[in-house]
Amino acid sequence: MNSPNTKTAIPYNRSRQAREAETMLDHITDDFDDNPAAMDYFYDLFRRAYCQGESLEREGVRVGTTCIHAPEELIYAMGATPVRLCNGSYHYDQIGADFMPAKSCSLVKATLGMLSSENVIPKVGKLDLIVNPTTCDQKKKASAMMVGMGHKVYNLELPPAKESEQARLYWQRSVREFVQQLRQITGKKLTRKNLMAAMARTSRAQAAFRTLHNFRRKAPSLVLGKDVFLVTNAYFFDDIERWTEAVEKLNAELAQRDQDGFCAAQKKAPRILFTGSPPIFPNLKLPLLIEESGGVVVADETCSANRMLYDMTAVDEWLVNDMVDSLANKYLKPCTCPIFTNSDDRLRRLVELAKSFAVDGVVYQAFSGCQVYEMEQKSVAETLNKAGIAMLYIETDYSPDDMGQLTTRIEAFLESLKTRKRNRT
Amino acid sequence: MKRLKDAVDRVDLNRFRFWLQLAMFALLVYGGYLAVDLGSRLPMFSCGFNEEGRAGVCYLLPLQHQLSRPWPQLFGIAGVSVLTGFGVFFLWFIVLNKGWCGYVCPLGTIQDWITALRRRLGARYSRYTQGQFRQLSRIKYLLLALMVLIPLGIGGGWFSRDMGTPFCLICPGRMILPMFTGDFSQFTIDFSSKTALVMTALGMGITGLFLAGAFVKKRFFCFFCPMSALHYLISKPALLKLKKDGDKCTRCGDCYTVCDMEIKEIADDIKTRDIMMDDCILCLKCVAACPEPGALKANFASVTFFESTEAGFIKRSQKGIGLEQPEH
Ligand code: SF4
Ligand code: SF4
Ligand code: SF4
Ligand code: SF4
Repeated sequence: MNSPNTKTAIPYNRSRQAREAETMLDHITDDFDDNPAAMDYFYDLFRRAYCQGESLEREGVRVGTTCIHAPEELIYAMGATPVRLCNGSYHYDQIGADFMPAKSCSLVKATLGMLSSENVIPKVGKLDLIVNPTTCDQKKKASAMMVGMGHKVYNLELPPAKESEQARLYWQRSVREFVQQLRQITGKKLTRKNLMAAMARTSRAQAAFRTLHNFRRKAPSLVLGKDVFLVTNAYFFDDIERWTEAVEKLNAELAQRDQDGFCAAQKKAPRILFTGSPPIFPNLKLPLLIEESGGVVVADETCSANRMLYDMTAVDEWLVNDMVDSLANKYLKPCTCPIFTNSDDRLRRLVELAKSFAVDGVVYQAFSGCQVYEMEQKSVAETLNKAGIAMLYIETDYSPDDMGQLTTRIEAFLESLKTRKRNRT
Repeated sequence: MKRLKDAVDRVDLNRFRFWLQLAMFALLVYGGYLAVDLGSRLPMFSCGFNEEGRAGVCYLLPLQHQLSRPWPQLFGIAGVSVLTGFGVFFLWFIVLNKGWCGYVCPLGTIQDWITALRRRLGARYSRYTQGQFRQLSRIKYLLLALMVLIPLGIGGGWFSRDMGTPFCLICPGRMILPMFTGDFSQFTIDFSSKTALVMTALGMGITGLFLAGAFVKKRFFCFFCPMSALHYLISKPALLKLKKDGDKCTRCGDCYTVCDMEIKEIADDIKTRDIMMDDCILCLKCVAACPEPGALKANFASVTFFESTEAGFIKRSQKGIGLEQPEH
């Protein structure tokens, strides 16, 4: 095989893969003045993990997840560590192309590419289990391929619609069964105590995320979207407590910036809401291009950021059963993933975000080959237009080839937003 | 003003409710000893059979009495007293709307205590399926209709006087509330006539069911309560209101998760602004459990006094988990 992954003599940090990450990170840090000091933690984390190939191996059972629908609280409660496997590397995308048809989603290809490699970046160690929620077709079919690669895969059955009571009950059962599966591989029992501790950790992380999210309402902006995506991307593999502390520090810095009247972007910078296929490091090219062209991403509706961390769990009775059902509820009901039959909630959420974050325009990214995002594009554009919000639809993938063309389109879009704004005032 | 509002929005609602319910229970069940008398038109089950302790009487008792008057009287001068009675009941009612159920009704409070007991024991509650729910939710209207028609029938001479106050005969309040003042006299089966025998036996059975039901199902009895049905029919002009702003709702279902009455619309309906459904007991737990600012609100005479906020949600849920929020 002459896949780009064949063992070579060069050390990882000089490989093409490391360079891909490094180039992106350099852009993120060096192309902008005044990066928050608290971002250093994240820059450094990504440098170590992606550029140096440093190990982030965790003790104990490691559970990979391929989607936000796998309840992390349950995994933590059983003493295991979740790692989100959705991958953003072009290097792995090319390797993964061997498994999938030509026109398929970069994210799925990259994830498969990573899982088939011997040298997995970020280095999270051998996975004891991969939880693969049955979301889109490509992820569903990827399951067997992962098994073929020698992984132990658990298909967490997600209903295709989420409104009905059947769907809710079906999903609750799926989640309860998942608990059984976790019990088998960890040998531990889910108790009120360990679940409460796990939920407390996630809840604190979510509270920190919400604070960060709320700071982004401020105009002019206190923080740039490229940094926030890096922060939420770090959640995929970082130690949850360390992550939370780092975000709380960032929040403290933003509070200070707010007091000082600091602007992270130009006052007139068009405010962008980002939606669609998730930006995952190193593929942050689209948010980066937006901000390099003078826009600022103030909010997002993607599963690598907002959709992953925003919605919180409410529990009525703190007993294991009720807690598990409540968790199941949180992982299904508020989710705006396009794989569900109905897209009402996604449309409503976009309009609400656009309004409450005083957004000037929406950028919709669809990875070519990701049918569900491609298919929802039209209805989203219509709904937003009706609400008087402009939208730019961009179909792209992980390859850097379209950067030039994308820059032109984004610049034109931002220009049009500025004109619109001027005409309005 | 803003600080006061923030403090209210962050209130630990469950605890607040527990104490208020306890106080109301004490007032209504023992207030009579202190000569408190709130009249006999109260819009919840402050049972009239708790003769010594009661601080006021459940309206259903006088209502059934009045309706069983002989027709010539009922449709004559006595009709006026029926109407004024209803008027007083209505005035009490519109103040709190179904908040009478969530915060005041002693029978409702007892159910919450039984729930607390179950929770202490670590036992799980059960829920109805959607189909069952829709069916069961109609029973209260049926009971309300019977509660009006049977006394009318008595007045018209079709039913025996033993059937007077038919709902009271089968109401769990009649046996349970007097018990709190040491009066167990209602725990008897009346053998004086066949009707009395059947009705009191039925009442006994229903009381048993009430206790067992409340143990497995939150607010088990309230699903069937004819008072609740009556409330709903006249709830339009009420002052206390539960409001929803669908635009702000993510349909996360958190409110539905905590709702004792399994009201699905509270989460799913994004159109209706007046979101109080017929089974609602206005406990406001949903408002406390909603993480989206302003999605759910409690208004009194159009003034919002409690609404869902992010900070309130986080404070309450982290308290639930046992994680104290650092003061910031
Ligand atoms: S028996 Fe029931 S309906 Fe009758 S007065 Fe007592 S609480 Fe009210
Ligand atoms: S519905 Fe429940 S709380 Fe309300 S009056 Fe009836 S028993 Fe009391
Ligand atoms: S908790 Fe709030 S946001 Fe969630 S479904 Fe209920 S009303 Fe909507
Ligand atoms: S809808 Fe809200 S106020 Fe009404 S019963 Fe349910 S939780 Fe209580």
